[in-house]
Amino acid sequence: MLSSIRDRLFRQDGRHRFEQAVLPHLDAAYDLARWLTRNDTDAEDVVQTACLRALQFFDGFKGVNARAWLLTIVRNTFYSWLEQKGRGGSGGEIAAPFDEAIHSGEGATTDPEMELLRRADGRLLRQAFEALALPFREVIVLRELEGLSYKEIAAVAGIPVGTVMSRLARARRQLQEFLIAHGVKEGAP
Amino acid sequence: MSCPEIEHGVAAYLDGELDLTSTLAFERHLGECPDCARALAREEALREAIGRAGLRFTPSPEQTRRLRRAVHTLGDSARPAAPRWPAVWRAPGGAWRLQALAAMLLVAIASWSLGRFGAPRLAPDDMAEEVVASHVRSLLAGHPADVASTDRHTVKPWFTGRLDYAPAVVDLAGQGFPLAGGRLDYLAHHPVAALVYRADRHVVNLFTWPAAYSADHAGPTPAALTRQGFHVVHWTAAGMTYWAVSDVAEDRLLRFAHLLAAGAPP
Repeated sequence: MLSSIRDRLFRQDGRHRFEQAVLPHLDAAYDLARWLTRNDTDAEDVVQTACLRALQFFDGFKGVNARAWLLTIVRNTFYSWLEQKGRGGSGGEIAAPFDEAIHSGEGATTDPEMELLRRADGRLLRQAFEALALPFREVIVLRELEGLSYKEIAAVAGIPVGTVMSRLARARRQLQEFLIAHGVKEGAP
Repeated sequence: MSCPEIEHGVAAYLDGELDLTSTLAFERHLGECPDCARALAREEALREAIGRAGLRFTPSPEQTRRLRRAVHTLGDSARPAAPRWPAVWRAPGGAWRLQALAAMLLVAIASWSLGRFGAPRLAPDDMAEEVVASHVRSLLAGHPADVASTDRHTVKPWFTGRLDYAPAVVDLAGQGFPLAGGRLDYLAHHPVAALVYRADRHVVNLFTWPAAYSADHAGPTPAALTRQGFHVVHWTAAGMTYWAVSDVAEDRLLRFAHLLAAGAPP
């Protein structure tokens, strides 16, 4: 009988610890999943599945950085989900081509371009983010929207810090080029 | 793109990932390298645009409800070896024992929760840990504000009679940090004011109390630290101590703190 009480208490304690680790970071998990899946319903599914996985891995969680831990699981869940979803263009999603020929525009940074960056509105920026290939989108979302440090991003994405830096640099360059190209188009009378 | 610093130096500087020595060296370099200066200006413009755009997705209230329920349900099996109920549950004539057991369970759980929530679980000298724990608790509850309002003229009077002091309530909506409400919390062995703000759609808790409560030695310049993946910014001004906590990017939280520190009424 005593052991059943103890079990019950452990269960309560387990739930409390689990909720304390996961609940504060649900918004961050959803934001990442939403940017990766580009869809409300899929994002929710991915977060739900990630929570289930988080529970399975919970014993291995050392309690240091719950946010990076949960985001890592969300990211991995997303990639398995993408794989399961099948061939329907998913390969293209991962390796979305970045046309270096078009985007290698050296120098030639003029003040009007700065103006376009400054004026870029939310809709255009959202499009620019969506246009990024996954490896770039995930690092820029983790950095700019979730505010993770390079070290945390490296842990979440499972890549070295140096790769985080070069992906961030490339993501930002592509964002700028997208905004300038489309800003010019829309700004033209 | 001739300068080798452009690729990494500019970004690391912008992201606050350089140590003090490298920061100073890079700032010197900026003065000499127009390429890097221009690249930095563009990246800053981009970051400002991103900050303005409010790109963070947040789940709808229904989605939040569903997700929280799922976590709650999952949490029930957060211990691997799920307990197996002993035979007493099924034994014939065991009903009275069952009730006794239930009563004992209740008492046990009640005293355990008291112990859990009533006793200080963190070293009292690390106020940052306590502040982060309060921030997390407010997120666990799902409704960080007792008085939910964007109007400081609603939030400020709400604290009257609930605290021994009147916290300054500043509206920073114009600067991108809208007020979301206020809440009573318990820190430094006193009831204290917790003001809830939003920054880039992240929740920010701003705790403020008279510096005497915690014998605070912090200076007037906001200083940042990190606990459990949360950013914490701390400073004192005019005899009050301030702690801001959030999972928003550290530079955003510092900006928030600097705005408050600069505008704090005497």
